[in-house]
Amino acid sequence: MEIKSFLTLEDASREDLRAVLDLARAHADGRMPGALAGKTVCLAFFEPSTRTAVSFELAAKRSGADVISLSDKGSAIAKGESLIDTVVTLDRLGADAVVLRHPAAGAAALASRHTSAPVINAGDGCGQHPTQALLDLYAMSEALGGFDELAGRRVAIVGDVLHSRVARSVIPAFKRAGMEVALVAPRTLLPPNVEAWGLPILPTLDDALDWRAEVLYMLRLQKERMTGARVPSVGEYARYYGVARRHLQSGVLVMHPGPVNRGVEISGDVVLDPGSLIPDQVAAGVCVRSAVLSVATGSAYEVAA
Amino acid sequence: MNRRPGEPAELVIRHAHVLDPATGLDGVRDVRLSSGRIAEVGEGLRGARELDADGLHLFPGFVDVHAHWRTPGREDEETIESGSAAAAAGGFTGVVMMPNTDPIVDRPVIVSGLVRRIEQESRVRARVSAALHVGLAGERLTEMRLLREAGAFCVSDDGLGTASAGVLRNGMLYARSAGLPVILHCEDHSLATGVVHDGVAASLAGLPGSPASAEDAATATALVLAAETGAKVHITHVSTALSAALVGFFKRRADVTADTTPHHLTLTDDLVSTLEGLYRVNPPLRPDEDRAGVEGALQSGVLDFVATDHAPHASEEKELPLEEAAPGFLGHETAFAALYTELVLGARLSLSRLVEAMGCAPGRWVGEGGSLAVGSPADLTLVDLSEEWTVGRGTLISRSSNSPFLGRRLTGRVVGTIVGGELVHDRTGARFGARA
Repeated sequence: MEIKSFLTLEDASREDLRAVLDLARAHADGRMPGALAGKTVCLAFFEPSTRTAVSFELAAKRSGADVISLSDKGSAIAKGESLIDTVVTLDRLGADAVVLRHPAAGAAALASRHTSAPVINAGDGCGQHPTQALLDLYAMSEALGGFDELAGRRVAIVGDVLHSRVARSVIPAFKRAGMEVALVAPRTLLPPNVEAWGLPILPTLDDALDWRAEVLYMLRLQKERMTGARVPSVGEYARYYGVARRHLQSGVLVMHPGPVNRGVEISGDVVLDPGSLIPDQVAAGVCVRSAVLSVATGSAYEVAA
Repeated sequence: MNRRPGEPAELVIRHAHVLDPATGLDGVRDVRLSSGRIAEVGEGLRGARELDADGLHLFPGFVDVHAHWRTPGREDEETIESGSAAAAAGGFTGVVMMPNTDPIVDRPVIVSGLVRRIEQESRVRARVSAALHVGLAGERLTEMRLLREAGAFCVSDDGLGTASAGVLRNGMLYARSAGLPVILHCEDHSLATGVVHDGVAASLAGLPGSPASAEDAATATALVLAAETGAKVHITHVSTALSAALVGFFKRRADVTADTTPHHLTLTDDLVSTLEGLYRVNPPLRPDEDRAGVEGALQSGVLDFVATDHAPHASEEKELPLEEAAPGFLGHETAFAALYTELVLGARLSLSRLVEAMGCAPGRWVGEGGSLAVGSPADLTLVDLSEEWTVGRGTLISRSSNSPFLGRRLTGRVVGTIVGGELVHDRTGARFGARA
C-alpha cells in the first residue's frame, strides 16, 4: 500500500482507496483482532467534536490500542498551548499516531512536520476531512455492490461547499473512485472561482435529479450561515436545496456527514428512510478509522480477499 | 388592456412614419396588428379597423424600468391605475415598479398580491421589482427564489442607496443564482449627507450638499462587484460624468447596463438657486459638465437607455423649503417631449437614438418588446412630433403634480399608446374609426 499519511486524499490513487476500504472490511468482519495492540493513539481535538472523536476512540480501542484524549476542555489545549508544542509533546510521550482536529486549514500538515508519529487529519478548518471521505466511500460501496460499482455513477454535493472541509475531501475521493460529481448551491455558498474546479454547477436540488444524480450528498448548513447574509431563510433553503420525500421517488440515495439539521438540509421524514445512508455512514466510521490507524501505524498486514 | 366586447382583434395603422432602430425601418408604412402581435408591416394594408396615422410617427413602445407607483401604502400619491395611465400618456408600454412602498415589497405574498392587482388595474405591462434586502435595510437577503416564483422580475434596494460592499457582493451572488437582475441605485450614505449637489449653487444658496463622490464611489464599488460575481446588474439614474465613464470601462468586463433620466439629461443644479422644494431629487441635479457627460454617454451607448425614476409626491411633501422636501420628480408623461425638445431639436441627439434609448434598448432589457419586427408584441407608441404643448397640472394624469417641467413649453406629444394591440392611451380623436 502506497498511502502513508492521512492529511488529505488528494494524492491517493484509486488502488490506495480500494486497499483502505478492503482493510476496513476486514476490520468490520473481525478478521483483524488486536491489530493495534501495544500502540498508543493520541486524539488532539482543538475544536469541539462528538461523533468524530467517539468514532476514532472506538476504532482505536476495538483494535486494541491505548488511547489518550486531549480536548479543548481541561487540557493544555485549553490553556493556550500552541499546536506545535502540543504535538511535539505527544510525539515525545511516545504516541504511535496523532489524530488531529483543528479549526484552521493546513493545521494537520503543519503538525506533521513536527512529529515522527503519523498525523491523521480528523478535520482542519475548511480544509480537509479525509477519513470522512473514506467512510463515505465505504458506505456507498456497501450500498451499491462494491467499490467498482461506484465508477460512472453521479453524485451531487449539495449545500455549503464554500465552508466545507467535507466537500474538499469527498470531491477528489469520489472523482478518484470514478464518480461524476456536480455541485448544487447558491453562489453565496460556492467559492468565487468554482468554475476552475471543473464540475457542473446546478442551481437547485431538482436540477440535480434532472441531471440523474444517484446519490445526493448533503452538506451541513451551519447555524451561523442562516442569519440572512448568504441564505435568505431556512424556508427558501429547504425548498430549493433540501431533500424532501418527493425527491426519493427516483431511488436516489441520501448521504450527510452529520450532524443533520432536520428540516433544513433534509426533511425530518427522510433522515431515517431506507434511501438514507446516514446511519450506514456512522457505522462505517469505526471500521474505516481502524483501517486508517492500522495503515498509519504500520500495523496493517495483507488481508486475504 | 381588455378589448371592449365586439371589437375586432385586428387593427391596421395606416400611413405612419415608422421609425424602429431595431429593425432599421424608417419611412411611411402601414402596420397590421393581430392577436396582440405585429402581423405585417408594408404598404397599402387595409383592415376592418383602421387608424389613420398620417403625419404621425410610430415607434416601438417605450419601456421605463424605474417607476414608483406608491402602491401599496401611498395611494393618495399614485396607484397602479393612475401610474399606468400616466405611463401610457407618456408612450410607455412597459414599466418596472420599485419596491420601496409601505409595506416594502420584500416578501413573496406582497409580490403575488401586486401581480394580481397589475393584471386587473394596469393599462401597461407592469413588472415588479422586489427588494434585494429585507426592509431595504442592506443586511438580510430576501427570499429571491420564492420572490421570483411569486412573479418578481428583478430585485433592487432603490431609494436607499447601496449596502456595504460585502453585503452587496452576497446580494449579487444570490441574485445570480436566483436568476434575477439587480437594479442598483448607487449612493454611499457616508458621503451623501446633503440635499442637493455639493457645488457652487449649493454653497451660494447655503444648502447642504452631497458630493458627486457619493454616487461615483458607490458606482465603482457596484461595477467591481458585478464584474467579480457575474451578476446581471443594471445601474439606474447615472447622473455624473465620472460614473458614466466608469460604466463605460466595465461594459466589457461585467454583465452591466445603465440608464440615466430625462431630468439629469436636461436640467442642472442652477435650479437650486430657486430654493424650491420641487427641485429636490436624488441623485441631485448636477452641474452642466456632468449633464453633458451623461448626454455624451447616452449618445454613444455607454448608457444603454433612459428611465424616468417617476416619483410622485403629495403637494405637502414638495411645497416646502428645499431642505425639508421629499426628493423625486414625476417622469412618465414628460419624458419623450422633454428629451425631444431639448436634445433632438437642440441637435444634440438623433431621433433614432432617442427612440432606441426609450424603446428598443429597455425593451430588450426586460425581454419583451423593443422592436417592430413581425411577430413581436404589438406594443407601440404613436407620436405627433409637431404638437406643442405646455406642461401644466391640468395636462398631467398622475395623481401628483411634482414635475420639474411644469410651465415648460415642449414639442412632441404622445397621441396613442398601444399595448398588446389595444389602445391604452388614446388622443387620436377623429383619426380612429371603423372602415365602412
